[in-house]
Order: sequence, then structure tokens, then C-alpha cells
Amino acid sequence: MMPEVADVETINRRRMNIMLGIVVLLASAPILVTYFVLIASSFTNQMITGGIIGQLTFTLENWILFFEGKLAVTAASVLSTWDILRYIFNTFIIAFGVMIVVTALATLAGYACSRMKFKGRTFLIQLLILLHAFPGVSLIIAVYALYIFSKQPLPASAWTFYAFLYVIVARAALEVPMDVWIMKGFFDKVPWEVEWSAIIDGASRIKVWKDIILPLVKPGIAAIAIFSFIAGWGELIYVMVFLPATEKTLATYIAGLLAGGSLEVVHLPVVAAAGTLYLIPTLVFFTFVRRYMLQTSLSGIKG
Amino acid sequence: MKIGRKLTLLFFLGPALFIVVLFYIVPLFLSIYISFTPMTDWNINRYLTQFIGLQNYERLIHIMMYDPDMRAVIITTAVFIAVTLAINVFGGLLLALATYFMDEKLSLAYQGLWLLPRMTPVAVYSLLWYYFFHSSGIGLLNAILMRLHLISHPIALGLDPKYLPWGAWFIIIFVNGLVGVSYGMIIFYSAFKSIPKELIIAARVDGASTSRIIRHILLPLTKWHFTFITVWQMLSLLTSFAQIFLLVEWRVVDSTWGQTWALYVFRTAFTTVKDQGLAAAASTFLSIIGIALGLVALKALGYKKMILEPKGDI
Amino acid sequence: MVSVRLDKVTKRFGKVVAINNVSLEIEDGKLYVLLGPSGGGKTTTLYLIAGIYKPTSGKVYFDEKDVTNLTPAERNVGLVFQNYALYPHMKVYDNIAFPLRLRKEPKSKIDSKVHEVAKFLRIENLLDRYPYQLSGGQQQRVALARALVKEPSVLLLDEPLSNLDALLRVYIRAELKRMQQDLGITSVYVTHDQSEALAIADKIVVINKGVIQQEGTPEQIYESPRNVFVATFIGNPPMNIVKGSVLEDGTIETTGSRLTPPPAMLEKIRKLGLKTILMAFRPESAVVSEHPMEGRFSPQGELFEVEPLGRDAVVTVTVGEFVIKVVMPTKEARELRIGSKVYINIDPNAIKYFDPNTELNLEYIEA
Repeated sequence: MMPEVADVETINRRRMNIMLGIVVLLASAPILVTYFVLIASSFTNQMITGGIIGQLTFTLENWILFFEGKLAVTAASVLSTWDILRYIFNTFIIAFGVMIVVTALATLAGYACSRMKFKGRTFLIQLLILLHAFPGVSLIIAVYALYIFSKQPLPASAWTFYAFLYVIVARAALEVPMDVWIMKGFFDKVPWEVEWSAIIDGASRIKVWKDIILPLVKPGIAAIAIFSFIAGWGELIYVMVFLPATEKTLATYIAGLLAGGSLEVVHLPVVAAAGTLYLIPTLVFFTFVRRYMLQTSLSGIKG
Repeated sequence: MKIGRKLTLLFFLGPALFIVVLFYIVPLFLSIYISFTPMTDWNINRYLTQFIGLQNYERLIHIMMYDPDMRAVIITTAVFIAVTLAINVFGGLLLALATYFMDEKLSLAYQGLWLLPRMTPVAVYSLLWYYFFHSSGIGLLNAILMRLHLISHPIALGLDPKYLPWGAWFIIIFVNGLVGVSYGMIIFYSAFKSIPKELIIAARVDGASTSRIIRHILLPLTKWHFTFITVWQMLSLLTSFAQIFLLVEWRVVDSTWGQTWALYVFRTAFTTVKDQGLAAAASTFLSIIGIALGLVALKALGYKKMILEPKGDI
Repeated sequence: MVSVRLDKVTKRFGKVVAINNVSLEIEDGKLYVLLGPSGGGKTTTLYLIAGIYKPTSGKVYFDEKDVTNLTPAERNVGLVFQNYALYPHMKVYDNIAFPLRLRKEPKSKIDSKVHEVAKFLRIENLLDRYPYQLSGGQQQRVALARALVKEPSVLLLDEPLSNLDALLRVYIRAELKRMQQDLGITSVYVTHDQSEALAIADKIVVINKGVIQQEGTPEQIYESPRNVFVATFIGNPPMNIVKGSVLEDGTIETTGSRLTPPPAMLEKIRKLGLKTILMAFRPESAVVSEHPMEGRFSPQGELFEVEPLGRDAVVTVTVGEFVIKVVMPTKEARELRIGSKVYINIDPNAIKYFDPNTELNLEYIEA
């Protein structure tokens, strides 16, 4: 690896850095400002934009109201803290579920696509690429139809469980093709000899995969686990369509708060608090994800 | 193939294949089938067995030709895709170029920042813009414009007929653009990074300016990536609708001029008229375009050549 | 311990023929070296013996047993890869124990076997370490241990020394040879380094372009190369090749000098009706001097360069269109002047004659 050759390039380096930095900063202003407004508004008595600076006070009231299930100080609360906690928990369940399903399927299928010869291998890999690009919305009607059809024989007591299961698997299905491709990229990088040594020693493919290869692709597994968790965490449409109205996630809860667009019933900073809470895991994983983003996007495209 | 080998293959590929068949292949055909039924209100048992041929398609075409709202959907979709695509591809390219010439640490920070919209939950991301474009004085945009004395009272950019359709279009393009740019940025950036550093240094030693380096080294070597991003983003824009859905639900944008084809399909099936047969017909169009574009992508990008055969006969 | 036999084996990868109708017998308990240039087919042959590759046609036998369709594990082979391929996330102990654990041998037995082979290879003190903590030579020994611990019927080594630095190579080379002799295990060793092959092999198999060029003991290969390829591949510097034309009376004219070949060769040349001939001789079979020497074939040329290598020196002389290299004592070489006219005094008995059409050594042609 060549060390950073600064000398030839220091011609205009400094000035360029500053210029570019400022330009990009300005371009990023919408992002910076809007996120700031959201997070800050959850801690103030009014929307930051709505008030004159002097009238804003710091308060935790929004958060308290949020956790009590109240939308405004004066509103009658239909929900309780228990409901809110349950919504948060539901969001976690979906996120974890998607993460587990995607990670399991991608590490299994990715290995086969990378290391095993079978009929239709090239076709399958191309199919995966095609599917990844496929419009999800054009299928949702049929997916929902299948859901309704398949839940009929089940006892009503199992319906909620089935709904959750369906959301998780349906959402996971949208991630699987791309993540199989990504994992294939990681498996491709493991030297053949390491695998061959194990096979020569008598290990079955499954054993080789489990004991030898998986430990060597941990970064890949971590990456797709994080990505699929984030995908599940933020899912709105499938949750809205499949889950019963009593079982919300943070997504459908927030969506419902502002439906119709009326201002009266809802104190906006409380909604900001809900939004900020919803944002936290994203920000947490964010720090891990940056490192993997480049790796996976590279392995995900040109071979 | 020996039995053991077949079972092993099943172990690895089975689950993924199962899910792909159940959630892609079967729904694809089922969706087309539904478009030939008069299904409404999700009454499967009643309507699934009724076959009405191309009626839904005829209705759809009739609506497309005579219903002004539907025409709005078509125009909105076209404008949305064209403009957002341009923003995503060129914006991504610009960001990649800018961050490429920056210090490593700074570029990582900025790239991270631009990835935030993509990773944020849809509901929260839409919430941000709900605040931004709110039609009262609370809306950040209104607050800024009033502060700058550009307007005297708050405007409803996405709803006011005075500003339609451009107001609504501006919002949905802007909101989606900020998300989409990051994809191109990542791809172009990694493409630039994979160019051997020695090439750039040699050019600098020869006295090349930055714009020269961009024009003669960086851009020519990333033609493949350009094609890839364009096709991919087009597909993505064709089919994504979650953000727009919320913006319409929350009355940030007008439902006529803020609706793309994908959103139309969803609302027709699930919220407005609950006519699944009609919606399925509309979604078939999307499926066809999606598959066609996907195949073009595979061919144009030469994916077949990139798939290496596994080594060894074990 | 088994003997290995390849019977008319061909291996194709798509359109490329890597191994072309090769038949080879490897004797029980001997160390065979597959020698050849990169891409020549030696590693492919090794993998065919291992079972990693299945022949496109032909069969592989261990003793009398047809193993062509058996997996590597079923063949009970031990294979040491060029880059050792140790399991990076396992300790050395676990690396070595891995094949035994797969066979579900009892723990105590595994433990004693691992320690035994570790002791034999002098790595007992490394059992608790991870591969990344070891030097190249140590990693190689761990790879060897892992291959030997399962008491394989055949030991296969793919360029085991090429990842080690030059000094270490010479030491470990001797150790490997001694180890193989002590164990008496049938071994197949792949390398592109001809000096390595000459040093350790019981038999050398020279492979190029998927075809066996020659099979024989190091002495046979060195003294009596079967074709031009073997002649120029073995030896450092390699054999000098000179082209000559055959005259009416059977003598050969080359580089402005004339040479009468030995009677047996004369006969063959006449019978084959050759008009041109290739002649080869080893650098150490000639001496460069300012005057021609008695009893030797002494073409004249110009001294190009002298490279002292300690005791001996490599002297390069240009003779017409040919560049000849001679190895002679440095003391004598130093007395020569660059650019001066010199004579290459070649021992006529050391000259080998090759048919220019088939590139075969005439000794191997029945005529």
C-alpha cells in the first residue's frame, strides 16, 4: 500500500479542502437543519420554528406526555404508557425478526452461490440481481391476498402472531436478494485452500460453512445484520397493511398522529419526541454502518 | 448428484428459494391473475374465481384517457422520475467528486451525513419534511421566507392551487432527491477510490489541474457505474412510494399532483376505492417496466461475465 | 502407504486442456517431485491425485483401488498448500486436531496424536498460539502437522517452500527430505525450482504444457535430458544450445568451427537424414581461455562479461549469434579481458545432440 503522498498534491490541497468543505456544508444545510429542528423541538415547549427565540424554554414535558400516550396536555388520552411501550416493543420485534431471517437466509444462500456448483447457478444469481431491482409495490397486492387467504384456516387467536410473522418474512423477502449477493461477495474473498483443507480432512460442506467459513466472514454478517435491522425498524407500509390496528409500531403510530393534517388535537413537539425516539437506534447503528457501507456497496456491484 | 449433495444444496438454498418463490414468483403471477378478476374490498373468496378478462385494463385505459386526475398521476410520475433521476445521478456524482478530493476524515463525515436520510425510518424522515413544509407559520420554510421578508404570510406550497403542480412536485422531488443522492454518491465514490492512486499522482506530476483529472481520468473510468446507477435509480423511483404516501396522508402535498403511479396503485388497492382488480391491472404495468429495465440492466452491465465459476470438483 | 497410478488422465477446464493423456506411476514410499514452469500442469496433477479435481477422462488408482470417484477425505490424503491455509480463527492445537475431531476419535487419543506429531515437527511449544502469531516456517510446520496427524496414505505438497525466504528454504528442504525418509510415506511434491527438485527427489517428473516431458532420477534428468525443454529447464545456468549444419561427410559445422560427433551419433544423424542439428552442453563442461585446448571442441568468440560468484564465476561469451555461459573457477576467469577474443573449450563427450524437428535427445531416438 502506498503511503499518502501529500507532497505532490499539497499544491492547492488546503484551499480546496476549505472550499469544498464549505460548499458541501451549504448543500447539506437542509439535512442538518431539519434534523436539528426535529430533535431540538422535542425538548422545547413550542416548535422551534414557531416561536421567537426568547419564548422558547427547555422542557421534558413533551417526552413525558409521549410516554403517557397523550398527544397534548389537554387531550384526553386514549392510550396508556403501556400502549406506547408495547408499540416500541413491536417495532423491535419486527426489526429483530427481519434481521434474523435475512441474515440466516443470506449467509446460507450466499455460500452456495459462491462455492457450490449446481445446475442453474448463473441463472439464480442473475435472478437475484433482477429481483433486487424489482418493484415491491406491484407485488404487495398479491402478497396481501395470499396473506388473507392463508390465515383463514387459522384460529382467530393465532391471527396476531401470524400477522407479525408475515410482516417479518415479507419484509425480509425484500432484502434477501441483495444480501445474498453481498454475502456471496464476502464468501468469494475467503481463500479456496482454507475450505479445501477442511474438505480434504473430511468435513461436510455444512460443517465447513459453520465452523470454518462463517467465522471468517463476520464483517459481512455484521453488515447485513445491521442493514436488515434498520430496514425492519423503519418499515411502514407492510406494518400498516398487515398488522391489526391495535398493534402499532412507532411508524404507524406517528403516521396516525398526523393523518388528516390537523393541528388542534396534537401538540407538535410531542410528535417530535416520538420521532426522535424512533430515530435513536438509527443514529446508534449509524456509527457502525459507515465503515461497512463502502465495503458492501463495492462487493455488491462490480463482482 | 449424490443424495448427500442434493440434501446439502437444499439446506443452503432451500430457505432463500422458498422465500423468493413465495414472495416474488407466486405474487407476480397472482397479481396478474387478480387483474383479471373483479376483486374489491379484499373479498377473496367471492371474487377470486370470477374471471372478467381484460375489463380492468379497459377501465384503466379509459380512466387514463378521460380522468384528469389520472392524467395528473401520469404526468406527475413522468416529471418525478425524470427530474429526481437527474438529481440523484448528477448530485451523487458531484458529492462523490467533492468528497473524493477532500481529506479522508472530512469526506467520511459528509458521506455519513448524506446517508442519514436513507437510513432514517420513513415515518421520521417524512416528519422532518412535514415540519419543513408545514402550511402555517410553524413550517420551517415559511418561517425562513417570512423572516427574509420574501413572503408576508405562510404558504401551503404543496396544496395551494396557486403553486400547483410545481409546488407539490418540488416537494416530492426534493424529499426523494435527498435520499436518492446518497446511493450515487457511494457508488461513484468507491469507483473513484478503486482507480489506482498512481494514475492521479502521475497526472499531477504532469501538471494536470483538478478539472482535467476529473474529465480525463475519473469520469471515463466510471462509465459502467454511471449506467448502473441510472438504471437502478430509475427502477427505485418507479416503485418507491412510502415517503410520498405519508406526505399525501398528512396533507403536505396535494393528493392529485403529489401522486405517482406507484402510490396510485397502493391507494387504489388499500385506501381510496379498495378496488384490487383495477389496482392489480395498474401494477402490471409497473411489473412489465420493472422486468424490462431489469433485463436491460443485466445485459448492459454485463453481469454474466462477472459471475465466476466456483473452483474444484468437490 | 500406497502407490499412486494415473492412467491416461486428461483434465479439461472448459476448452483449456490442462493435463493431456498423462500416465504416471508413483512408487510406494518414494518422494516424487513434479517439476515444471507455472501453468504447466503440475499443480493440476497434484489436485487430481488429491481428488480436488476429477479427471475429464482416465482413472486414478491408489494401489489397486480405483479412487477416481472418491472424495479427498475418502482417499485419506494429506495436502499442504503453498500458503498453508491454516484456519485463522483456531489455535494451532485445534488446527492440527481438526481432522481427528472430524473422524470422531476419542479425546485422549486426539490429544496424544496431536502432541506426538507436534513433537516430531518441533512445534510443541506453539500449540497454544494462533496462526497469525507464527512465522512462515512455523506455519508451514503446522500445516504439515495437520496433514500428517491423520496418517494419510499419500502426502501431497504444493510448492511448500516458495513462501519462505531463501536461506530458510535450504534448511527446511533437507528437513523435509529427512522427514519423508523417516516416515516412509509416499509423497508427491510440486515445485518450479529445479535445484529443489534435484536436491530432494527420489524421482523427478518434468511436466510442461500438460504433458510429461521426462521421468527419471535426478541423475538421469541432469545427465541425460530427454528433450530441449528438460535440457534448458534443469541446471543453473541452463544448458547452452547451439545450432549447427550437418555436412556431407557427417561432420558438423557451427560458429565457424567443425566438429566430428562420436560414431554412434554420426550413425543416427545419417539414418535420420538430418541437415541441421542442435547441440547442447552444460556450462561446467567447458573452460574459457585465450588459446584453444587440446582434445576439445573450441569455437572462438568474444568475452562479454565475467560474473564472480565466490568460488566459481559465470563467464558469458558471444559466439556468432549465440550467447554461451560457462562456469569456471573464478581465479582463472579473472585473468580474462572483457571484449577480447577467447576460446570456449568444450568437452566433446559432454555434448548432447538434439533433433531440431522433434527437439528430442538423439540418445532417446531409436534409429
